[in-house]
Amino acid sequence: MNDLIIGMAGSGGDGIISAGESLIGAVAAEGYYGMLTKSYGPQIRGGESSCRLRVSTLPVLNPGGSLDVAVILDWDDFLRFGSELPVTENTVIIFDLKSGVDRTSLPIKGLWPKVLCGVPLEDMAIKAAGVQQAKNSVILGLLAGWLGLSPDNLLAGLRKKFARKGDEVLQGNERAFATGLTHAHNHPLGRNLRLAHPTAPLKRRVIADGNELCAKGAIAAGCTFFGGYPITPATEIMQHLQADLWEHGGVVLQAEDEIAGVGAALGASFAGKKAMTATSGPGLSLKTEMLGLASVTELPLVCVNVQRGGPSTGMPTKCEQADLFAAVFSAHGDTVRPVLAPTTVADTYGLTVEAFNLAEQYQTPVILLSDQDIAQRKEIIDPIDPSLLRLVNRLEPTTAELKDYTRFRLTPSGISPLSHPGMKGGNYLAAGIEHDERGAPTANGEMHGEMNHKRLVKFLPLRRRHDLFVMEGDPDSPLGIIAWGSVAGIALEALRIVRAEGLDARLMIPKLLYPIAEEVFADFFAPLTRCIVFEQSHQGQLYRLIRMWVNVPQQFESYARSGANPLSPEDFVSQIRKLSRAGLRKEHADRADFLNPL
Amino acid sequence: MISTDATSGGTAAAPRDFKSPLKPIWCPGCGDYGVLNALYRALAAIGRPPHEIAFVSGIGCSSRIPGYTTAYGFNTVHGRALPIAQGIKLASPELLVLVAGGDGDGFSIGGGHVPHAIRRNPDLTYIVMDNQVYGLTKGQVSPTSPRGTRARSSVYGSMESPVNPLLYTLAYGAGFVAQGIPGDLDGLAAMIEEGIRYPGFAFINVQSPCVSFGEPDNQVKVQRTRMRKLAAEGHDPSNRLRAIELAQDYGQELYTGVFYRNPNPPPTHGCQIKALQDERKALQAGVTITPTLSATDPHPTCC
Repeated sequence: MNDLIIGMAGSGGDGIISAGESLIGAVAAEGYYGMLTKSYGPQIRGGESSCRLRVSTLPVLNPGGSLDVAVILDWDDFLRFGSELPVTENTVIIFDLKSGVDRTSLPIKGLWPKVLCGVPLEDMAIKAAGVQQAKNSVILGLLAGWLGLSPDNLLAGLRKKFARKGDEVLQGNERAFATGLTHAHNHPLGRNLRLAHPTAPLKRRVIADGNELCAKGAIAAGCTFFGGYPITPATEIMQHLQADLWEHGGVVLQAEDEIAGVGAALGASFAGKKAMTATSGPGLSLKTEMLGLASVTELPLVCVNVQRGGPSTGMPTKCEQADLFAAVFSAHGDTVRPVLAPTTVADTYGLTVEAFNLAEQYQTPVILLSDQDIAQRKEIIDPIDPSLLRLVNRLEPTTAELKDYTRFRLTPSGISPLSHPGMKGGNYLAAGIEHDERGAPTANGEMHGEMNHKRLVKFLPLRRRHDLFVMEGDPDSPLGIIAWGSVAGIALEALRIVRAEGLDARLMIPKLLYPIAEEVFADFFAPLTRCIVFEQSHQGQLYRLIRMWVNVPQQFESYARSGANPLSPEDFVSQIRKLSRAGLRKEHADRADFLNPL
Repeated sequence: MISTDATSGGTAAAPRDFKSPLKPIWCPGCGDYGVLNALYRALAAIGRPPHEIAFVSGIGCSSRIPGYTTAYGFNTVHGRALPIAQGIKLASPELLVLVAGGDGDGFSIGGGHVPHAIRRNPDLTYIVMDNQVYGLTKGQVSPTSPRGTRARSSVYGSMESPVNPLLYTLAYGAGFVAQGIPGDLDGLAAMIEEGIRYPGFAFINVQSPCVSFGEPDNQVKVQRTRMRKLAAEGHDPSNRLRAIELAQDYGQELYTGVFYRNPNPPPTHGCQIKALQDERKALQAGVTITPTLSATDPHPTCC
């Protein structure tokens, strides 16, 4: 097999997540690509937990649809994940015989799996290691055998994992692993799960998640200040920086609240440093006033928002793309701030750097709109070369300009040199209050108009940022697809499937979501008669945002699902086929109802 | 060249060097004029050039004050001056950072930030112009208004007891707490200078009367007759418990001077951060260094 999706579920303490992590480490060492997503119940400890691992000989674009292999330690736990772990009759189902379930009593109604394999997992663990906690090592042995993975890599992983727990624990787990391996050899499955050899040359790869690469990207961009507050699923950004930023002369401040976190970051930016904050939905709501202050004082600032299910507390551990409107519009006054969205784990690195570059170039807050999926899934990626990065620093006043410094000078580009405390002659008043060119408070309408113009005109070059869009497929096709964030990887796979079937289409993946790059959209829409926007929100927020700003193709459709409802390439393929066959509407739909038909 | 110590290395300066061309919007007779003049004097005495000073404020009449100085000013949003100032100080420890605002800014909308600033102990000076009223919005009760205050937002009298800014900051462990009045310009200027020189978080409450919406019996001239100088009454500012006792009289007695100055200032936030940065850098370079902070030596050299 070239591509395999394994799902595992059990109770907290069964070591399901840990087994997933061991597995992704082992397949990475053998030269495969992979993606590991984890899902938990709402409990802090205990409760049900699951993971799914997609292994491939080619880079993995998304977590995939239905499972090829399901490992079930506990049926109740497994069933709680519902559509997150979808099984079909082709799924190889491996379960603990202790559950007492057999072919006639499967708790999934109407499912008749072709391969159903009961294994006495708990008994084997107790026999080999003396404790049932070694079940996950038995599973690793089984999968190593059935998938044809080298036991060496998995054993090396086990040794690393149990190094601190003493020889007895390690040896018990090694025996449990060996038992599983032997069992697999003695009991071949009814379906061959052996992975094809990796096609790409074996080289050092990296396993990382989006939050980690966001932190690393920030450091590469020259960030030396982070202010934030713990919030799921963004906390790991602060934790990674907490470990790494100090030796770069930087500071990480876990503030008393979200507002203080972004406030301190803005203060650091005022002091001349590159600064960042990171949060998720509710935190973004709290930070919006400070983002407005950054807009009016024209100070660079990066605010990462890792989207989760909303509104309010919503579903903190689930993915959704419903903060787009908040990112774009949650500011009072005539404010525009760039909004960027990474599409993969690796992409998070470069796009974090881009967020700093835009912030510095245009002296503006920038929102990096990540999502729970990208932020917390682990991917096997090719190493990133930081030497290829282009870094932008804010425009500082020249010695001549400092002789008669005018902080908010009205320039054709809208960008005026920015000083910072310590710079002699650069003294100025930064204020949330409207100001004139020298920073003096004003309530004059004419000056307010000119300052608004200054603060908006500087973003005009973004209309042409073709490099912040990925285009794939046939440029002449009349059928278009748009997808963003973590959903983009699903759309990309769907595109490849329909093209392989002979249906031509063109996919656009915007990484710059706002301001809407009018020229790029106009170019993309020109040959299209039909276009569909895929996204994970109930209203289809990008679909609506595009309609607000540019003329759309004759038939412009939205396929949007609320968060925590898995989207799959198969799902998208059927939507694309449907759109390609549908009769063309004679006129544009005159309005978009906020209630999407489900 | 910026000196590394916030309070030394300056050249001789005059109060007028810190005066900006902007004309204050304050009403004639407002106490904030006195605070501004005292600040000019204190900054001249400190002697750091204006470009090495960052002056942060929130929103309110008094929060306009950074614009009336030649320092780098940041007139931010309501209640958030302290977090922003801490970011500035952490990013550029060599700067002299001042924070100012009103009682509503500091103890109502921004009240949640005060304890945390005190816990971290950044080396900055926080001046609150406490007039017991919201002046910019034309006369509503503030967090320091006495119970029963009749104002536009409480026409039948307020029902809340006031926040006591002195007790509040002392209780959270501020190392320097003082109170002044604009009518005593010399005393106020000396107090601000002392606060700036204190290595750590310094809080100065100025009973700065509102001429338009404040109580007639609490105006600049009346205050001068009511004030009781702590120094003259023999108060020892190193005695924290006595300071707390005296602070209980906020709203009754008008004490001026330093309530409390920690005789053994603990390490500042910036100092601890520098120690950590140095340690991490040295580890990266493969050098082991003696930690500058230890339990037995709470006064590392960088403070």
